Amino acid sequence: MKRFREYYRQFEEMPPEEVSLELRARREEEKRRALSRVDPLDLSGAAWHEPPHPEAVNAATFALRRALNAYPDPSGTPIREALAERHGIALDEVVLGHGAGELLRAACAALLRGGGDALVGWPGWQPLPELIEDAGGRAVPVAPTAAEMLAHAGAASRAVLLSSPADPTGAVVARGTLRELCAGVPEEVTVVVDEALGEFDPEGEDAAGLVAELPNLLVVRSFSKAHAMAGLRAGAALGPPGLVARLAPSGGIGAPAQAAALWAVSDRGLEIAARRRAAAAAAHERLAAALAGSPLSALPATVPFAWISSDAEDGPAIAARLAAQQVFVAPGRLWGDERHVRAALREPTAIDRLAGALLGGPG
Amino acid sequence: MPRNDPTDTGGLFIGRRPGTGPVRYRKPPDRGGARRRRTDALLAAAVLAAELLVVLSMFGPQPIAWLWVGSQVDYRTDSVFLGIIVAFLGLLASMILTLMLATRLDNLWRLLRRAAGHDQREGMLGRIFATAAIVAAIAFTVWLVLLEGPAPSVAPR
Repeated sequence: MKRFREYYRQFEEMPPEEVSLELRARREEEKRRALSRVDPLDLSGAAWHEPPHPEAVNAATFALRRALNAYPDPSGTPIREALAERHGIALDEVVLGHGAGELLRAACAALLRGGGDALVGWPGWQPLPELIEDAGGRAVPVAPTAAEMLAHAGAASRAVLLSSPADPTGAVVARGTLRELCAGVPEEVTVVVDEALGEFDPEGEDAAGLVAELPNLLVVRSFSKAHAMAGLRAGAALGPPGLVARLAPSGGIGAPAQAAALWAVSDRGLEIAARRRAAAAAAHERLAAALAGSPLSALPATVPFAWISSDAEDGPAIAARLAAQQVFVAPGRLWGDERHVRAALREPTAIDRLAGALLGGPG
Repeated sequence: MPRNDPTDTGGLFIGRRPGTGPVRYRKPPDRGGARRRRTDALLAAAVLAAELLVVLSMFGPQPIAWLWVGSQVDYRTDSVFLGIIVAFLGLLASMILTLMLATRLDNLWRLLRRAAGHDQREGMLGRIFATAAIVAAIAFTVWLVLLEGPAPSVAPR
């Protein structure tokens, strides 16, 4: 009889209250899992972490929808005029290109056509040695000081390449150093400053302002970093007219890139870039405050990334510890440095997470 | 259209319409063989018939029986009031007991239907009760108006 009853009781449904309890428990478990999940935080890049200002996007979009069937203005005159006026140079001392990288490649090709040495301020923008080798030259890494550079400049030297602010350290080549360097190098040597991060320079320390004064100085700038337009590939070279003319791409740069760059060089665009510089400086202060009193430290800078080292562990150990906490940074070995890592500085929550991850281990 | 088709709700509910979820068992039931399922189907039909009779008894036999009891009380105690009270309270009590019995039969019918292999989510009690009430109301009206009500006084004798 019991078995008979048990057989039919198995067809009884669960009461709604019991079903609700089960569903609620399942939902709680899902919520707990969602809260405990840690999303990866990629801090290995050096591009600005936010999209461009909406007005820049509007300008590019307007250009895209206007007359994309037509060739763009090959000269990019309005942008060049704005840049020339801002840096106190002539119009023919400015050209536009497809980002600072392409302009540096063209500069290497122009300056090292017949071979020769190029002194590279190191650590600097990571692809520079490769660009030099591709152009047929020989890259000679040198500490980015005037004394070191001049000591290494010889008869075979054709160019000196510096990054200011430097990626990855954020170190700025002072104007005094540049003046000394340009005056001290042999006549056939051109000093090239990669100023892709120029908008993050301290006030009055940008190399572009020296182009009018120093005839052997070439400055390459970018709209990728402080203007957050890395995807548009736009940059500018400022220097001797005979040299910069050889760097300009035939046909100029694309119409959307020109439209966004024209907005970027306007007062509004420069104001936005200045805000990003202030945000980057504040990010450095936040990170420094968080790391104070620990063996970890970041080089003081105003760029949107930090060059971090520790007295207690080497760079690969820091990177591995961060990776274990889903925070990914660029290892210093990309620059031949085993002591440091480079971490992009993003919004305050990301900085706090980076600091927490840095301090979470043996640090 | 499937019962859980979201378009069936006019887009009011995302997902399944409330109250149309599948039957949730504590564990998947272990059903008997085909013969047992056939037996369960027959038993379910018998239980449904019993449920139908039980419900129908509320719309005729029970009221009549309690009216008879009330009349007997009236006759023996010579109190019309007591007769009415006994008939009324007795009918109420028996109705409640009948409904309790019908509910149990309905639950049993659902279990038997599920055991017979049907996805039986709801019982039949509501539908049986409503149908019986409508039929009883019509029958009572016919009896009252045409057979035993005013008819004898208006119709020629």
